[in-house]
Amino acid sequence: MEDFKSIISECIAGSQKAQAKLYHHFAPKMFGVCLRYAKDATEAEDNLQDGFIKVFANLKSFRQEGSFEGWIRRIMINGSLEKFRKLHLMYPVEDVEIYDSVNVSDDVIAKISADELVKLIQELPPRYRMVFNLYVIEGLSHQEIAKEMSITQGTSKSNLARAREIMKKKVHHIFGEINAQNNYMA
Amino acid sequence: MKDKNTDKLFREKLLDYEQQPPAYLLENVLAGASAARRNRRIVFWRAAGVAAALLLAFVAGWQLNYLNNETVKQPIVTSQNSSVKTKEGINDVINKSIGSNKIQGAKENGNKFSGTKDSGIMGQMTSRITHPEENTLIESMRTSQNEKSAMLHPLKTITRPIEINNHFKPILQVKKYNKLIADKPELTNDQEIIKQNKQLLRVKNETRKNAHWLVGAQVSPAYSVNRSSHSPQYESNMLNSSSQSPVELGGGLSVEYKRGKRWSLQSGVYYAGLGQSSENPSSSSTNLFAKADKGSEFFNAPVSIEASKMMINSSAGVIQMNGIPAGIVLGTNLEDKSLTTAVVVSDASFIQNFQYIEIPLYLRYTILDARFDVDLIGGLSSNVLVGNQTFMQTSSGKSQVGKTQDMQGLNYSGTFGLGLKYGLSKRIFLNVEPRIKYFLRSLNSNPAVNYKPYTIGVYSGISYQF
Repeated sequence: MEDFKSIISECIAGSQKAQAKLYHHFAPKMFGVCLRYAKDATEAEDNLQDGFIKVFANLKSFRQEGSFEGWIRRIMINGSLEKFRKLHLMYPVEDVEIYDSVNVSDDVIAKISADELVKLIQELPPRYRMVFNLYVIEGLSHQEIAKEMSITQGTSKSNLARAREIMKKKVHHIFGEINAQNNYMA
Repeated sequence: MKDKNTDKLFREKLLDYEQQPPAYLLENVLAGASAARRNRRIVFWRAAGVAAALLLAFVAGWQLNYLNNETVKQPIVTSQNSSVKTKEGINDVINKSIGSNKIQGAKENGNKFSGTKDSGIMGQMTSRITHPEENTLIESMRTSQNEKSAMLHPLKTITRPIEINNHFKPILQVKKYNKLIADKPELTNDQEIIKQNKQLLRVKNETRKNAHWLVGAQVSPAYSVNRSSHSPQYESNMLNSSSQSPVELGGGLSVEYKRGKRWSLQSGVYYAGLGQSSENPSSSSTNLFAKADKGSEFFNAPVSIEASKMMINSSAGVIQMNGIPAGIVLGTNLEDKSLTTAVVVSDASFIQNFQYIEIPLYLRYTILDARFDVDLIGGLSSNVLVGNQTFMQTSSGKSQVGKTQDMQGLNYSGTFGLGLKYGLSKRIFLNVEPRIKYFLRSLNSNPAVNYKPYTIGVYSGISYQF
């Protein structure tokens, strides 16, 4: 943290050299975050670019006490949420439903690379992708997701269940092994 | 349980997933950051400019008020009724003012002058002087717009994985998977710091979330309604207030600071016109006799003529004319000693126009936050007088003849109304605001006059939010 204090100060002062340094340090990880929330690499690049511009514009508001990386991460995720709200407000509401389920062995998932998993996530419908990321990766509750995305908790649960199923089917389709099961609930 | 394990696998693989972004993005980021920095400066200077303009307007208003107070004079017409007691006195004044010099001058210019004997009410001589010359998608999109800035919208529990309880334990395991046991005390400290940081950031973001500025321009037709009272003596020598007041056009620039969903504070600089019309009754001999018999009301407006300047009482105050207006018929050498030096005999209406620079401070409360926002508006304004003209309308036309005496340089008004706002886009709004404005004290400092009109206007315009 101490290492970043001086860089942050220089960034606030407008030093492009310091901004470039900060960018180089965090950009790979943040691009990973953006890729998970975007439908493709182009959208992720846009989100990363907008996110870093906001980071530099709001560095003054960062109290140098907590996790700087966590702060930047929040900005990136909020940017993706904001874009989702703008573009997908008319997405139809769904209730909790029962889906035919497939069972994929954890061993199979463990063998899949992160790059391949990210591609599978990107192929999810926008709202499923958002809910999946927020619940599975970020650890938000359905109540919190509902509030952030202006949807009901039931819809969040439904979307998560559907997202999981799609993910499992894709994993099965690409990597084999299937055990049919029924009634998967969030 | 199965799902929890699967989720855990996904999380382990993806939480710290990294990928190198394309090299060209850095250039875009640096250019964007630089542009944002410039924009912030521009916004700052704009805000500073508005503040400076408001400050200057206040100072100018104060100065104008100071200057006007130095030149306030007392009314003339009311006091002169009692001072002119004798026929000789009347004749003396007439001789000094419109006597031989004026009449002679009119003759020399080729204008008609005729003196006629009238044995009726009017007295002894009626002078007729004529002059040929005439002288304003959707409610969800709105919600989205309000939450636009990522920094301004808190994602409250993003750091939740590092809290130590059963629910979040799996996430902790992922984040520090290889160091979980060894780093546990360090994690606890880190957790506390992040928790505090999260709370502080949330409070700050929530404070900023709904604060924004709006600047706009508005125009309005304003209808003035006369509300006045006068001393009996003043009123007995006063022109009739017209039932029809002129409609004046006003408008200006507004600045609104909105904090939260409901409350906002508005100021700005407006130009506001105020009009007052007064009439002299008909001069036909039939009407004169009919009204005289009933002993009711005045039928001709008395005037005072002093130093070749004519003065006449109106509901807004004493009108001081630059001279004796062309195209007006006066009755002089009056037999009734209680009257003043002359009366206006001809048909004439006097239109008094006042222009004000208004600096308002309004409080707005949003009672309906929907497609059409509906606000309640209330507040006070400082009004600085910047224009004061009187026009005379006769059958031969309209010309500027003078001004109204003793008008206050600075006055205060109360305003209340409704504000209707419709979003044309994310940042541009159409406003329609019916308002009623009433002056808190008399616009005229003459103690015999209590002139506190109110105006009804429909302000319409456009505003831009940033």
